[in-house]
Amino acid sequence: MKIILVDDETKFINMLARRLSLRGLDADVAYSGDQALEKAAQTRYDIAVLDMKMPGMSGFTLKRKLLENLPDIKFIFVTGHGTIDQNGIADQSNDIFLAKPLNIDTLIDTIRQRLDPDQ
Amino acid sequence: MNRQPLIIRKQGWLEFLFHRPNVHLASFQTISNYPRIWIISIMILAVTSLAPLVFTTVINHQLIQKSVDSELVLQTDRVTSNAKRSMRFFLEERLNALQFVVNELPYYSLIDNEHLDKILSNLKLGFGGFTDLSIIDEDGSQIAYAGPFNLEGKNYKNQSWFIQSIEKDNFISEVFTGYRDIPHIIIAVRSETAYGRHFLLRATLDTQRLMSMLNSYKTNVHTDIFLINRTGVLQTPSTTYGKIFTPAPLKVPPYSDTTHVIRPEHPGKNGFIMGYSYIATEAVTTPFILMVHKKKSDVMGTWLNLGKTFNWIIGVCCLVMMVIITLVSTFMVNQLYLADQAKAETMLKMEQSQQLACIGQLSAGIAHEINNPLALINETAGYLKDLYQYPDEHRSDQETSELLDDILEAVSRCGTITSQLLGFVRQFDVQISSVNVEKLITGILSFHKKETEYKGIHVTTAISPNVPAIKTDRGKLQQILLNLINNAFQAIEANGCLDIKVSYLPPNKVSIEISDTGCGIPEENLKRIHEPFFSTKKDKMGTGLGLSITYGLVKKLQGTVRVESSEGIGTIFTVTLPVRNRKEGNA
Repeated sequence: MKIILVDDETKFINMLARRLSLRGLDADVAYSGDQALEKAAQTRYDIAVLDMKMPGMSGFTLKRKLLENLPDIKFIFVTGHGTIDQNGIADQSNDIFLAKPLNIDTLIDTIRQRLDPDQ
Repeated sequence: MNRQPLIIRKQGWLEFLFHRPNVHLASFQTISNYPRIWIISIMILAVTSLAPLVFTTVINHQLIQKSVDSELVLQTDRVTSNAKRSMRFFLEERLNALQFVVNELPYYSLIDNEHLDKILSNLKLGFGGFTDLSIIDEDGSQIAYAGPFNLEGKNYKNQSWFIQSIEKDNFISEVFTGYRDIPHIIIAVRSETAYGRHFLLRATLDTQRLMSMLNSYKTNVHTDIFLINRTGVLQTPSTTYGKIFTPAPLKVPPYSDTTHVIRPEHPGKNGFIMGYSYIATEAVTTPFILMVHKKKSDVMGTWLNLGKTFNWIIGVCCLVMMVIITLVSTFMVNQLYLADQAKAETMLKMEQSQQLACIGQLSAGIAHEINNPLALINETAGYLKDLYQYPDEHRSDQETSELLDDILEAVSRCGTITSQLLGFVRQFDVQISSVNVEKLITGILSFHKKETEYKGIHVTTAISPNVPAIKTDRGKLQQILLNLINNAFQAIEANGCLDIKVSYLPPNKVSIEISDTGCGIPEENLKRIHEPFFSTKKDKMGTGLGLSITYGLVKKLQGTVRVESSEGIGTIFTVTLPVRNRKEGNA
């Protein structure tokens, strides 16, 4: 199971990666959309956890670009806004939106559920 | 501030005239000068409703005057012509009688006094009006006389009437007193003796009879009938112009043997109408001019009274209408004022709630800003806890200390943001103070920092160094700039530009220009953007109040807003504000 975490808040994303690895989930980190695309070109990720608002490339743009190379990849969006951005609804996908600050257990449950919905 | 009394209050009738001016409301009112609107409305109503009434009254009055005038002319003409015919007949009849006498009787029987007496009595009997008869030879000596006066043997050689009559076959004199001191008229007929010498048969006529004949034509007291000679001397007494033989103050009318009516030269209260005719018999002209004088005012009395009554009625009608017009105008203008007032009050309330909405909008951005450090704190603290929950994990004091530092740093990041917000919000309450525009703009932009980063918006601020601090209501200026900058951010797509230019326009103005490369405003909407509830963001959250409140606020700060926009290229809002607010105490 390959996970990539993308957020411009470097400390936050590093800490999250570390905590996930403590729980047995290995995750790569990228600090921007471009970096994420570079890493995705080398590794087939199963799931991406994206911040919606990032300088340069937004979470949604990144999603579109990732899907070009990895059509089966699943997404979990993380947002600093309490509510989900109106634009996200227009996407009509099954993506899951989580609010910051995150509960680590909820995140792990969500990742598991997303990768194996039958469980 | 206690706004309650503004909203719940008695709605007086003349509220718009006697209201206490309120600068807070004034900037939201559509019309500023209600008394002027009131007066204009009264005047327009009065003119349109009273003018036709007055016009018809005047026309009507003139028509009546005209018809009365022509009626009067007709009446005068009739009286004059009747009196003239009688007068002519009177003289002609007597002249013909004398003619008959001289033609019928031989000279010798005429100079017989006894015979002459008989003729006189016969003439008196047959015609009346004769006083005496005499025969005068061509030298002027009276040869025979019949009558009550002792005039026998008189010589008339030098009398003007004799000189005139001896030259003609027939003669009628003016009225004169002569030797006997009684006004009389002479009628003379010339004839010849058997020896070819001329002689006159002269009769004097009693003017009394003539006068009573003329007086019989006086239909009422307003009519005066009299005779004048050709030099304007009265030949019979006149009730208007005085005694007999006094010159009448009249212009002698031009010769005409038919009846004429002269219209008065100065019509008015003392106006009159004058009918006249020169009297001429078939055989000889006479020196008489018959005059008929009719006083207009008295004859027209009935009509004038009717007119007066009519005028009174019209006057009362006009008065009643004016009262109604005034009441209706007052009511309507007052309703207009109250509606405008209610609108202004609503706008004022809206301004306050928009201020909150404005802060709300900011808070959303700020919540996001705070959420990021919070998420970091969450993860770092969670990791610290993990270190103790997963005991096989290696942990060093140094790492723990670093993690705690991270938490503290994130907490201070949050603190900065909240204190920034609090400082900003608190300043909304400040009234007039000295405001540094640059600091204000920088403060507002700092709340949008993350948004500019995400959207890749290029923000430039150009503030010329000579811009002075302006004395104004800081809270209001903040709200204005927040509204305009928020609008700009909403309009700008990714990778757009926001330029803010502040410049000093000496001596007393500062202009703030906010230009964006957003979607622009279509031309047909440009004129309407300041209207309340005008919004093109129907699908989104726009209330349509933002810009209209901004306009109201700028007006309150005695500034102006100018908008230039081209669709697809961008919009420039230019706010010009006075450096010193003129009514500092009130704003």
